[in-house]
Amino acid sequence: MFRFLGLRLARALLTLALVVTFAFVVLRLSGDPALLIMSADAPPEAIAAFRESWGLNDPLWQQYLRYFTAIFRGDLGQSMRDGRPAIELVAERIPATLALTLPALLIKIGLGIPAGVYAALHRNSFADRAVMLLAVAGFTVPSFVLGLVLVLVFAVTLGWLPSGGQESWRHAILPVITLGIGGAAVLARFTRSAMLEVLGQPYMRTALAKGVPWHVAVRRHALPNAAIPTVTIVGFMVGSLLAGAVVVESVFSWPGVGRLLVVAVANRDLAVVQCILLLVAATMVTANLVVDLLYGALDPRLRVAPKGATA
Amino acid sequence: MSDITLNTAPAAPATAAPPARKRARMPAMVIFAIIWLALMLLTAFAADLISPYSYTALDLRNRLTPPIGLGGEWVHPLGTDELGRDVLSRLIQSVRMSLLIAFGATVIGAVLGVSLGFLAAHFRGLVEQAVLALVDFQAAMPFLILALSVLAFFGNSLPLFICLLGLHGWERYARIARGLAVSAGAQGYAAAVRQLGASPWRVYGRHVLPNIASTLIVSMTLAFPEIILLESGLSFLGLGVQPPMTSLGNMVGYGREYLTRAPWILLAPSTVIVLTTLSVSLLGDWLRDRLDPTLR
Repeated sequence: MFRFLGLRLARALLTLALVVTFAFVVLRLSGDPALLIMSADAPPEAIAAFRESWGLNDPLWQQYLRYFTAIFRGDLGQSMRDGRPAIELVAERIPATLALTLPALLIKIGLGIPAGVYAALHRNSFADRAVMLLAVAGFTVPSFVLGLVLVLVFAVTLGWLPSGGQESWRHAILPVITLGIGGAAVLARFTRSAMLEVLGQPYMRTALAKGVPWHVAVRRHALPNAAIPTVTIVGFMVGSLLAGAVVVESVFSWPGVGRLLVVAVANRDLAVVQCILLLVAATMVTANLVVDLLYGALDPRLRVAPKGATA
Repeated sequence: MSDITLNTAPAAPATAAPPARKRARMPAMVIFAIIWLALMLLTAFAADLISPYSYTALDLRNRLTPPIGLGGEWVHPLGTDELGRDVLSRLIQSVRMSLLIAFGATVIGAVLGVSLGFLAAHFRGLVEQAVLALVDFQAAMPFLILALSVLAFFGNSLPLFICLLGLHGWERYARIARGLAVSAGAQGYAAAVRQLGASPWRVYGRHVLPNIASTLIVSMTLAFPEIILLESGLSFLGLGVQPPMTSLGNMVGYGREYLTRAPWILLAPSTVIVLTTLSVSLLGDWLRDRLDPTLR
């Protein structure tokens, strides 16, 4: 078990290091940051001073090392546009984003998993077909189209709900629904195929053959086994709580992390983009680590024989 | 992410004849999907011939005219936007652009992924570990965020944008290609050709690749709609295809300004996006069920 955990932890740290390196390499490849920030016709002295103050004259490995240690200390640089620390700018947007993504996550889990399980247990029934059709539709309709259609119906035509902004909880309804429906569709589809796979396994036949009632077999044998792939997807959804609403926040002009990211990308405010990138990577990696722990709890085989898990 | 899905499955291509299945009739939905996709392809290829106007031509006397059915006339069947540009002509150009990007990106992703997967399977050891670490990295990050960061750092141009979208999903091809190539290496045919003195190029290109082609084609049809969605999402945000070029997502993002006064500007491309992704998905699911039960 400890070996399993240690390996997972090492992998998580490696992924984070890769993200940091990715950010550094891309930053350096993209051209001279000094020319990028200052306009091309800035006086040469100003550019030289800028290069000096950002340490751009040092050898590359020194810059890389300094970059790494700075991030380790939590120093992610200042927004190149308004001079405030990037991490502060990002942190103050996090609550707004979570106000959308947490309720949406509840909708995804509460709607998607039961629908998928039900569809699998009643395979080829009318309900199964309906769920699958909805799931495919939910997956293929892009979130901005869904969001805009909801705005057109509920805000423009019916006038029931506001179309954008963040003044009250009523403003959050449409974005949360937009986010929730799409995710629920993905989850339902996944849960269904995981369940179908498990239901076809020999151990299910054995359980039924030895006289275990159907509902007990489903609860004791099918659900725990089908939980493993489903937990992976839910983990991915938890990991993208911070970054999963980029498009939807833009549709509803919701001032969250995603909106900040889009504006920062458009302005090429590299420090802010980098900060969000690292933050998302860190949440994602943490979520994956928790998922790995859950695997251990859900599947005793992984605790006994860690070799199978590392293959 | 752990790679429990594909690698552990005994991916050996069935050497025995698969159980004889009754030739199922093609479902109506799939027929519809094929017809729609054929229509879209035709539109993309014949874009210049069938556009009633140039997609940038202004008709300032007919601004924001509604489409037929909402009081419009046949001069502009799908209405016009606020500069009097014909929505139908813009839609046709956009279909061409979006399909071009999606095809380009899918092919790039597949080639990149398969090459890396084969490299990993051929050299094993350190190369394999490096590829797997990259796969983990890619699978662990939401692609939209990676794409946005690259766009922030490099700015935007059409070739860069296509290459960037090509990075989407390469890790899935790499996983599949590696898994299947490793299991193919254990089978007689690959060893036999190698014994006959074939170069690795020949072994992988002429013998392993055709054997895993059906799985790869299915994965490509599953990745294609995702790339259309990504492209339209980024263009919708104003960070993808840049004006004066136009793409489906671009049109939606632009039409959003006129949501209350002229919803048709936005609804026309939205419908095309949804129908196209839906069709490719239906076709992909159907192909997967027919060709490759291991991916289910």
